Amino acid sequence: MVDSSKRALFVVFGVIAGYSLIGGGARTANAVPAFSRKYHTSCQTCHAIFPKLNPFGQAFRLNGYRLPNETDEQIKQIPVSLGSEAYEKLWPAMVYPSTLPGNVPVALNVKMADLYQSSQEDTGRQIVKNDFQLPQEVNVFAAGTLGKHVSFFSELTFAERPDGGSDVEIEHARLDFISAFGPDHLFNFRVGKMALNVWDGFQEMWIMTNNGVDTLFAFNPIGFSGGTGLADSGGGVSLPARARAIEMYGVAAHRLFYTLGVDSPIAVGPGGPLGSFASSNKKDVYARVDYKFGGMGLDGDTTGVTLPPENWRETSLRVGVFGYSGGGPGIDFPVTSPDGQEFNQQDVSYRRAGVYGSVYWGDLNVFGVALHGKDRLRLFDPATATALSTRNTTYDSWFLQADYVIAPPFQVSARYEQLRAADPAVPLLKTFNANFSFLAYANIKLMLEYNRDLQNSLNYSIAGVLRAAF
Amino acid sequence: MRISLFVLLLLAVALPASAGDVHGKVVCKGARDCADAVVYLSAPPGKTFPAPKEHAKIDQKNLMFTPHVLPVLVGATVDFLNSDTVLHNVFTPDACADKFNLGTWPQGESKSYTFKKECSAVLLCKVHPEMEAYVVALPTPHFAAAQADGTYRIADVPDGSYTAKVWHPKLKTSGKPVTVSGATEANFEIAK
Repeated sequence: MVDSSKRALFVVFGVIAGYSLIGGGARTANAVPAFSRKYHTSCQTCHAIFPKLNPFGQAFRLNGYRLPNETDEQIKQIPVSLGSEAYEKLWPAMVYPSTLPGNVPVALNVKMADLYQSSQEDTGRQIVKNDFQLPQEVNVFAAGTLGKHVSFFSELTFAERPDGGSDVEIEHARLDFISAFGPDHLFNFRVGKMALNVWDGFQEMWIMTNNGVDTLFAFNPIGFSGGTGLADSGGGVSLPARARAIEMYGVAAHRLFYTLGVDSPIAVGPGGPLGSFASSNKKDVYARVDYKFGGMGLDGDTTGVTLPPENWRETSLRVGVFGYSGGGPGIDFPVTSPDGQEFNQQDVSYRRAGVYGSVYWGDLNVFGVALHGKDRLRLFDPATATALSTRNTTYDSWFLQADYVIAPPFQVSARYEQLRAADPAVPLLKTFNANFSFLAYANIKLMLEYNRDLQNSLNYSIAGVLRAAF
Repeated sequence: MRISLFVLLLLAVALPASAGDVHGKVVCKGARDCADAVVYLSAPPGKTFPAPKEHAKIDQKNLMFTPHVLPVLVGATVDFLNSDTVLHNVFTPDACADKFNLGTWPQGESKSYTFKKECSAVLLCKVHPEMEAYVVALPTPHFAAAQADGTYRIADVPDGSYTAKVWHPKLKTSGKPVTVSGATEANFEIAK
């Protein structure tokens, strides 16, 4: 039993380390200098420290990359007209007018890292690696607005492999239809590959650390006795960090946020056994609702609110609940029993439910999520495709992170993550992550980050990271 | 002496009632600048003005209408010249200008339309949907297009009471009473 636990622990941390090493867990950069060029404004207008958005940046994003109550004079790169606005009155007799960004709206992020990693094998041997990931990844962004109601966001990521080649992924390619009808901000639609708004606030653009919240987004619920660790190639995942989706979202009364969506099943995303989003005729559904008390409105509204000139500061509380539901019947994942027998397993239905909270108090932002997952795993004989057994499993994960602005160029962050895997033989995964970020310039930052498995002092990593956005 | 008195008498008869100008500045909140703003004075009750004989002109050059905004007196005829090497069209969806469509014509030729009613008509080109211009047909000849910085000057305005208004294609029209007596200043702020 002890050996089994140690092995599971090694697998869990090993996969985390592997994720970081090969860039598989590398998170998107999401600092888009195309907007700086469009408005002739600093990165810090929207970012506390890129890519983490400040409250204004969050409102800018939800407005479809438009400033709250935007006026023509705020746009310094004059858009190219694809039709006089007067054609709005002539629709449908004439084509509805639109615009193109004044310049090609492309931006680059480059990320370099020196990753020092220690991990312990199940034999007890310590393995130490020090890898110059120079670069670790390059992100090509295209983002902007098309006319009054449409915006777009695309990101192509080139993640360098240890062999010197690179893996290319379209991380985002989506169109947003903003205030499609009804009151401003209330009914917006998105379609494409995207970071779902259901994770708005605790994923991607809000995380200033190098490591992502892997226990939340990368847990693999598949396993003979339930999931044991983070997803490797060929596994399902807890929550999809990005998905192909159609989504409706909006802000009501400046402070109530909601989203509803339908997306491709999480079990059959890239890296799944069938290797294709299109390999299932099922779709998952998700929803979220939350409310923000105090601070800037989610749509950028500041009526009746006094905010300090330091735009990363406010006093506010945002709380919400979210849910995700779906299933992957017919999608086989190979699993092996403890005695070495091979089977296929299907995650025939899964449910995720979570609560989210974020508090801004001056220079401090504390936020966290608690997630409960349920999976219905069905075991099949790989030769005859006969269902052998069905098992209901659950897992829980949560994290709490505190970000603090010492001064705008100097920010620190500490995060604790915990995961109770579905397989009862697997001990709790406890991870601590500490980050010091130095914004050398508005668009260049240096980070020193320490990540440690709290169950085993030999499992840790130290990363020095240089990121530039231009 | 007699000649001097005669000249003075002639001058007194020839000169109209005392006239001044209206000048000032328009602030266009939310617009890139004030270049498209037009300041004009309403007609005194019962007062009408004959249609101008001279035609106004809008040129289509380099895939743009020039000027972008043309204020004219009601009854004015506007000639639309095509100075480009490509075909152009001029039409308007606005009923106050009869939703006219002048067809398509080549370089060097022009077509005309007479604006018979008060109107702010958007002019479009079906061949090049991004092209737009405005003709603002006004009730008096007392108007001026503002400069980009918002300054304007309406010359030769007879003394009296008027309502001064500002029109802008993207901002709300605003007006206020103005009593003209010599050089008179009137400033405005318009917004979306």
